Amino acid sequence: MVVWARIRKDFPVLSELYEGKNLIYFDSACMSLKPVQVWEAMEYYYKHLGACGGAGRSTHSLGLETSQLTEEARMKIASFINARSQNEIIWTRNATEGLNIIAATLPIKKDENIVTTSLEHHSGMLPFVKKCQEVGCELRIVDAHPNGTFNPADFEEKIDDKTKIVSFVHASNLTGTVAPLEDVVKISHEHGAWVVSDEAQFAPHNKLDVKKLDVDFCALSIHKACGPTGIGALYGKYELLEQLDMFLVGGDVIEDVIYENGKIIPKYLPPPHKFEAGLQNYGGMLGAGAAVDYLQKIGMANIHNREQSFSKRLLEGILELEKFEVLGPLDYKQRAALVSFRPKSDVMNHNDVTEYFNDMIPHHKILMRSGNMCVHPFQYQIGLNPGKGEGVTRASLYIYNTIDEVEIFLSELEKFSKALD
Amino acid sequence: MGEFKERNIKCVIAILKEKNPATTKEIMAMRDLFPDLCAGCSSGGDVISAGKQLVEEGIVERKWIPSEGFSWKLLEVSE
Repeated sequence: MVVWARIRKDFPVLSELYEGKNLIYFDSACMSLKPVQVWEAMEYYYKHLGACGGAGRSTHSLGLETSQLTEEARMKIASFINARSQNEIIWTRNATEGLNIIAATLPIKKDENIVTTSLEHHSGMLPFVKKCQEVGCELRIVDAHPNGTFNPADFEEKIDDKTKIVSFVHASNLTGTVAPLEDVVKISHEHGAWVVSDEAQFAPHNKLDVKKLDVDFCALSIHKACGPTGIGALYGKYELLEQLDMFLVGGDVIEDVIYENGKIIPKYLPPPHKFEAGLQNYGGMLGAGAAVDYLQKIGMANIHNREQSFSKRLLEGILELEKFEVLGPLDYKQRAALVSFRPKSDVMNHNDVTEYFNDMIPHHKILMRSGNMCVHPFQYQIGLNPGKGEGVTRASLYIYNTIDEVEIFLSELEKFSKALD
Repeated sequence: MGEFKERNIKCVIAILKEKNPATTKEIMAMRDLFPDLCAGCSSGGDVISAGKQLVEEGIVERKWIPSEGFSWKLLEVSE
């Protein structure tokens, strides 16, 4: 049985007062808080190792232990998402970098196409927009429905035998939509297309099984999964990673660089090392390993079930007030643990909502994010204008939140909603 | 201070010189008047952040007005 109160104690900031107020942290879709176990893993590196790791770089004792621990961390990430091997895991800075690696190294011809959706985070869309601009290939957009959901049939219309890859967000950071990834993978594979999924919002909250989903690549942001900042992971089926070119080159990616007859001839390492040029974020890798250990110890099903019950209350509570427009599906079962909302009346800017909860309520600071969440196209699609400052406030939950916090928020939101009359 | 932040601070001051005080909503709507200063902050978070810094420095005052949101008032202008 999970003792959630004990888990909350692993996040000391939640027990501290900030400007004399208790913190309610509802911004985990941007950045999760980090448990003490993660800092300790990183501290071990910085305090006791501090050396180079990597592919046979430094073979002294500190170097070897660094390499051993970082490879163990890679194995933990592989296990976390049920990859076949740790060689299918590439360390990145974040999901954005992972998606850029795929787009930049994708072998695609001018007469082929890439499919993505209007609901992608800019990180899942812009690398492919850029790729198509560079190559001259076609970018096809599947529009999400106005409620932020997808119908797999919409993908059938866009994907054909000339589709090279489909870039698709598994759980939206804006609408919370949990998308039908398995269906999209099936449709894509029927046409020989690859699928890369943006797992930044799904993987920290649910069991991600890349083998079961049969997804070809997926990008993870560890900093949203209790891990440190500046570390992410990219999964790819090994045989596909072998087909991709390098994104960055330099130290650590080569077997040898031969200088012969006035020519430089590099011989690159196989995946995953050929994608990891230069010295890496070794402390971050150890923190990442500790983070996924931490989540798996709690159990992803436990995390999902708890968050779903809280997000049900959060969603229903906001809707009951009848003063706010909620983006995304209205069935909590179709959603991740976040709700983006905006006042129905046009009396104030969405930034004021967030600022009010940060500064103006007694006893608590409720920390949320406002803006467009880097998903401008979908907001334009549904009639909002990010360019004119229109946007939403987003409340997002994680393992350390409590139902009491949800109730405090809803009670304060009810008081706030009277200001909208 | 980074150039980007400095630009957003100038953006807030320029807007408040045009309309003082102004609500957040009005400030967001007036960013178009100063495209060189207020570019690159479409969700408005950068402007809010700059405005809060000006409040901390005592250059701008911020008040909560129910049914309007925050009102921002320029108290003094540092050139």
